[in-house]
Amino acid sequence: MSKILIVDDEEGIRMLYSMELQDEGYTVVTLPDGKGLMEVIEQEQPDCIILDIKMREYNGLDLLQQIRKKYYDLPVILNSAYSSFKVDLKTVAADYYVVKSSDLSELKEKLKLALECSIPSQP
Amino acid sequence: MKYAEENPDGVTKADVIIGIPSFNEAPSISFPTTQADKGLVKYYKDRSAVIINCDNNSDDGTREAFLATSTQTPKIYVSTEPGVKGKGANLRNLFLKAVELGAHAIVVADADLKSITPLWIRNLCEPIFDNYDFVAPLYIRHKYDVTVTNNIAYPLTRSLYGRRVRQPMGGDVGFSGALAKQFLDADLWSDEVEAFGIDIWMTTIAVRGRSSVIQSFMGKPKIHKVRDLDSHLEMMFEDVICTMFDLMIRFESFWREVKWSRPTAVFGFGLGDVEMPPPVDLDTKKLWDKFISGMRADWNLYSTVISQENMNKLEEVVELPVGGFEFPSGLWAKIIYDFAITYRNQSMDRHELVRALAPLHYGKTLSFVTETNAMNNQQVEEFIEDQCVQFEKAKSYLVEKWFA
Repeated sequence: MSKILIVDDEEGIRMLYSMELQDEGYTVVTLPDGKGLMEVIEQEQPDCIILDIKMREYNGLDLLQQIRKKYYDLPVILNSAYSSFKVDLKTVAADYYVVKSSDLSELKEKLKLALECSIPSQP
Repeated sequence: MKYAEENPDGVTKADVIIGIPSFNEAPSISFPTTQADKGLVKYYKDRSAVIINCDNNSDDGTREAFLATSTQTPKIYVSTEPGVKGKGANLRNLFLKAVELGAHAIVVADADLKSITPLWIRNLCEPIFDNYDFVAPLYIRHKYDVTVTNNIAYPLTRSLYGRRVRQPMGGDVGFSGALAKQFLDADLWSDEVEAFGIDIWMTTIAVRGRSSVIQSFMGKPKIHKVRDLDSHLEMMFEDVICTMFDLMIRFESFWREVKWSRPTAVFGFGLGDVEMPPPVDLDTKKLWDKFISGMRADWNLYSTVISQENMNKLEEVVELPVGGFEFPSGLWAKIIYDFAITYRNQSMDRHELVRALAPLHYGKTLSFVTETNAMNNQQVEEFIEDQCVQFEKAKSYLVEKWFA
């Protein structure tokens, strides 16, 4: 089953998402902020990252730029309590942008789409 | 191909090329030439460079205006044969020169650009030196600008080839020397590609070939000389649609395997204040009239192209009042796919078929204007995003009918 990396500085969110996604059959790894993110990606090889934007010491949009430099096609879903970050063009580099909600159905739907996406690797 | 060339400085090698395609652009070509020169001097003074005007043998003094523009960078003028017209034909000469001169990075800037800055040169060129192959522009555009891009080119390219390039026919692009050679050697040239189809053609070949593609944020909106929107749209519509449909046929085995889509990275932030684009007015009455008159004239043709289920829904759309007009995106996507299938089947003249798509496009544009009237730019982007998802969801309909 697919492995999901959740990067969020709210412990409650990490716990909620972990439980819900594990119930759906995903393997879940969590990280409380961007510290060591690239190493964790290297080590865990996640199939998708759910990335918070506004964290205490890290900006998810900057982290996304770093991820894209090394992992061009690794699915990333931006997940923020704020919709206002959508105006930032850096969000274009994410697969999807989902505003946080107690109802995780949109997040789960976008996660499914991101994981199902396939483009032939050879021309 | 190349018919005439003037190379006053005897340039035989260039690491960076700025290509400016033109046809009768004497009054405007000096500005992008000057900006290109400033960009090259500021950002690439240590690299060999040349500015090339690729012209359609203009008779208004474009060649003289270009060569007389004062630049530190050497210039070359090339032209197609008399009578050969089209941006694609000009870029074909540019690809040839890029290969001849051994260029590493090539940037194309339209000759009638009024908003190009030296930074555009850097933003379209720099990713190439960072090992990207193709750089598509990302401009802030008014919500009613580029209706063919918003309603057809972007959603169709994205759903077919799985890569989200927001301005797939933006016109101002960067690409590597290796990709220029691929463009030159491609056996996919047509009359439409040699005309206005070239921009969507380059993007499609780049994304389909799995070249590394990036979008570059230009900061300033794209402003070019005032064009008659109607006549410009009519001129380019057929070239663009025929090119997209031709490439669909050629690349069917590739897009059949594509499911959903992936984002494309963006280069070029921290550019200071973002300038907003000038407003574009669309005459909704004119759009309505063109839609309705097309429905009356081509209804029989539509019933042979569009599936019965979609015809029934189209009939409902036609009956809507202009005030509450709405053309659902899911239906629009399936109609585009129906047209593509008929185009592939060659069951009628292809040009007649594509011309008959235009009134439907006017209807879709009217719906877009009505639905997004009160929206800001960000909301419109989300609206377009939803429309793209409708194209992606309807892809199974296309696959099923195309490969039946």
